[in-house]
Amino acid sequence: MIKYIVKILKSGWNYLWRQGFLSFATSLVIFIAVVLGTVLIIFHGGASFMTGIIKDKIDISVYFNEQVSMDKILEVRDQLLKEKKEVIAKVDFVSSEDAYSAFTKDHNNDTYTQSLDAIGSNPFLPSLVVQTKDPAQYKVVSDYFRQDQFSELVYDVNDYRRGFAIERLSSLATGINRMGLAVTIFLSLIALIITFNTLRLSIYSQKEEIEIMRLVGAKNSFVRWPFLIQGALCGFIASILAFIVFLVVLFIFRGSLEQLFMGFNPFNFFISNILIILIAQLFIGVGLGLISSYFAVRRYLKD
Amino acid sequence: MIEFEKVCKNYCTSQSKEPKAALKDASFKIKDGDFVILCGRSGAGKTTILKMISCEEKPTSGKVLFDKKDLGKVKKSDAYLIRHKIGFIFQDFKLLPYKTVFENIAYALETCDHDESKIKDEVDQVIELVGLEKKRNSFPNELSGGEQQRVSIARALIHRPEVILADEPTGNLDPYNTRDIIKILLKINEAGSTVILSTHDKEVVNALKKRVLTLQDGSIVRDEEEGVYFL
Repeated sequence: MIKYIVKILKSGWNYLWRQGFLSFATSLVIFIAVVLGTVLIIFHGGASFMTGIIKDKIDISVYFNEQVSMDKILEVRDQLLKEKKEVIAKVDFVSSEDAYSAFTKDHNNDTYTQSLDAIGSNPFLPSLVVQTKDPAQYKVVSDYFRQDQFSELVYDVNDYRRGFAIERLSSLATGINRMGLAVTIFLSLIALIITFNTLRLSIYSQKEEIEIMRLVGAKNSFVRWPFLIQGALCGFIASILAFIVFLVVLFIFRGSLEQLFMGFNPFNFFISNILIILIAQLFIGVGLGLISSYFAVRRYLKD
Repeated sequence: MIEFEKVCKNYCTSQSKEPKAALKDASFKIKDGDFVILCGRSGAGKTTILKMISCEEKPTSGKVLFDKKDLGKVKKSDAYLIRHKIGFIFQDFKLLPYKTVFENIAYALETCDHDESKIKDEVDQVIELVGLEKKRNSFPNELSGGEQQRVSIARALIHRPEVILADEPTGNLDPYNTRDIIKILLKINEAGSTVILSTHDKEVVNALKKRVLTLQDGSIVRDEEEGVYFL
């Protein structure tokens, strides 16, 4: 059995080198498919990053009356978390002092700060900043705080002013996800077409050899395996090449890519997911090589 | 050993739906150790007979028996068991282009699961026998037509088959190489293998003085011991 495996591996290796141009063409085609696959992975990373940023920016501020104590506000927060836990992602308490210092920090010595100084007191109210799991659910939170039980405590819920922006941002996040899906389908189709053409090329060039092998007395597995090994090796070479190309290109253009993708750095994403990406590339490359070789020989080995 | 019983073979071409008869009601027997020449013009049915013996084609009707086994019932995936008993020699040599002379010949033994060291010894012996020692590591495209045919013969002989099927083996060769190839086939036959030679070369047929099956439009029109070319 071991001798048989060694013989087949040796045969597949010899075919790879001796069919130089065909192996190169097959590897190149698989390389393109691996590149498309890797672009998809990075695109998904970018899309998640951007929707994450958008979702982080979507929140509702609930302002409490000046006389409401911090303990009471925290009690309301706990009640909200308990009653609407399926909706709420995060609730932060912002005291009037925190709001004041954040404002002065953002508007360092500009006319706003000067106007604030002229007032002579802190006009900011304590608030709860609420983030929902799904941005579309902000209305649940605003309706919750408009109940009669909170009318004495709550000064304002700012969804009237932010509602439109929240809906816009929410639809933008959905749009990015939909676009990601469309790009995935489009790139997968291209990869499939490329694979199909590789397959046809293989069938055309190897047809006569397979017939000779069978006539000489080779059984189906003895014909099939060297071709599968050859295909897998082409896929392996294509994957490693794609890995190196991505590593180098993303490193060289890391600065400009980060600017282009609004803070998303594809090189950092590549490095932090390096093992998963390498495995995915090998899976795509070796898988495509095996599948195309399998289909190339299958037609001639049927009963 | 090989027996055709009222064998018919029809082919459907891609151009017309009407099936075309390649072999009509062919019946004959070939005994162990025979040397039989299939003689006829192109399209007479010679290659169809060889393809049925090698399980490449199945008869449309009738029976083809090899060692009493009905070849019409052999699955394509089991055909290798029959082919281990056969050696093929073709007009266009049919060598594997990406294998060396040594590897092409060794391939026939590898398919029969022979031991690696035994394969090396036997292949080297056969290469010496056909006079291609200096071309051992050459690829087919580096050989002349005569040399390629000798590799093809070496590959057909290496596993000591019961039957040699030679389909117009001298069709692409000059008279000198033709004479050499025929001599080799006679030697193979003397060593005990059955040889079935398909040819339309009048001089080869007349010189051999062996059994001749003459085919015309798919029918066997003559079957003569020590026959001559008659068309």
